[in-house]
Amino acid sequence: MPKKIVVDRNRCTGLGMCEAAAPDVFEIQPDGSMTVLCEHPSDDQMDAVHEAIDGCPTEALSLVDD
Amino acid sequence: MSNALIDAVDWDEGGDDVFLPATLENKPDYDEIDVSSSAFWKMEFAEQDKYFRMLREQRPVSWQRPVEDAVTPDPDDPGYWALTRLKEISEVSRNSDTYVSGQGVIFDMLPKIFLTMTQSFLAMDNPMHNKLRKLVASAFTPKQVRRMEDKIRQTAKQLVDDIAEAGQIDFAVDLAEKLPMITFCEIMGVPRERWEDTIAAAQGIVAWADPEILQGRAPDEVQIEAASMLHEIAGEMYEERLRNPTDDLFTALVQAEIDGEKLDEAQLGAFFVLMSVAATDTTKHTSSYAVLGMTRQPEQRAWLMEDFDGRIDRAIEEFIRYGTVVMTFRRTAIEETELCGQQIMPGDKVVFFYGSGNRDETVFENPSEMNLARDPNPHCGFGGGGVHFCLGSNLAKSMLRALFYEILTRIPDFKASNPTYLGTNFMRGITHLDFAFTPEKAENPGDA
Repeated sequence: MPKKIVVDRNRCTGLGMCEAAAPDVFEIQPDGSMTVLCEHPSDDQMDAVHEAIDGCPTEALSLVDD
Repeated sequence: MSNALIDAVDWDEGGDDVFLPATLENKPDYDEIDVSSSAFWKMEFAEQDKYFRMLREQRPVSWQRPVEDAVTPDPDDPGYWALTRLKEISEVSRNSDTYVSGQGVIFDMLPKIFLTMTQSFLAMDNPMHNKLRKLVASAFTPKQVRRMEDKIRQTAKQLVDDIAEAGQIDFAVDLAEKLPMITFCEIMGVPRERWEDTIAAAQGIVAWADPEILQGRAPDEVQIEAASMLHEIAGEMYEERLRNPTDDLFTALVQAEIDGEKLDEAQLGAFFVLMSVAATDTTKHTSSYAVLGMTRQPEQRAWLMEDFDGRIDRAIEEFIRYGTVVMTFRRTAIEETELCGQQIMPGDKVVFFYGSGNRDETVFENPSEMNLARDPNPHCGFGGGGVHFCLGSNLAKSMLRALFYEILTRIPDFKASNPTYLGTNFMRGITHLDFAFTPEKAENPGDA
């Protein structure tokens, strides 16, 4: 089952811990908002994505079945 | 406490004007382990941790009397709940709907005017907190920090150049303090002739119980003077940027609009004060603990040096856990809830003891040892998570990486000893630290 990244926009503060863990997948914009560069990460991106999800201090990220 | 009063408070605005008082009703006796006494805060950390350990094991959420010898004591303050385990520190940090920051975040009781002048979004709640924070956050993202990295590396190299032949320095003063301070001044665009004033004032802010910095003066006098100095510098910069905008963070703040309104001079001043402390002293003291730790445990230094690039990121997390330089922050509950079997009432203060959380033996094996390979390392050195998580963590890591690259490749056989500790219950600082090493040139036979 493919997985999709979901962001809780009420929680995200744009700190960029996710970008530090997975720069191909998450990017903080100049206005402080966060963009998901690829909603459906590939298998070889998954470790970094999990690291980003676990490392998010505001628990704004999750993976759901798509 | 009636719900009507709670509802009447506009928490969205931080609740600055209506204060939700704490009550002694239904509270247990004060805990027999007293972490509020002045004597407790004069102990070295290892000694304190013996008491913290008992609290972690037996009463992880304990009821405590108000901090003794507070800067501005409040006779109506009944006390606070002390959180000593990582689990509760993390849980409460992440629940900012129940535990707010708008009623203050400092453990000690400080003059209200000082808090207004210094705390900015540190002591605000959402949505205002997030709006202000996002303004600054965009300057500290991984990409922005990478842009600054060349400059940071260059500064670190220059600073080690300056001391490499000395062989003996005061690490805290001659090295650790300079990199974060210079980086802060450059990011903010502080004019060169104001750097020394900025550095001195930033130290005055956190020195409320340190005799060396106070020099016989009253803590609140020194604090307010320091905050006023930083506001004065920020005011000059504000006027200057209005006339001549540049590409620094301060200009971005001057020009930024939140809900159509610009920040005024006082808000910018408070921002500047918060940043001047948060961005500087923390990294400075962490560096000092790191060299002390590597002196005590030379095998750790050897392990790191075997593969600096591959290991430094993990090592930095451990430097931060091991040092835990910010010792306390607090929150205030605004609704009734339960925490680890204790009934928390609206108005109750809860205090995070980060040093204790980072020595939690249920999470960290041999917590008092520095183990640079520790993985995972879910420390609370940047806070326990949630919306107030350290904004400058990326920047701090970048500075530590640059500084330790220079130290470990050029003067790696150092010995750090004889630390002088800052005497406060907020910042576990090191004001002086003897640091001896083989001068760099001595390795060059041409100079022998």
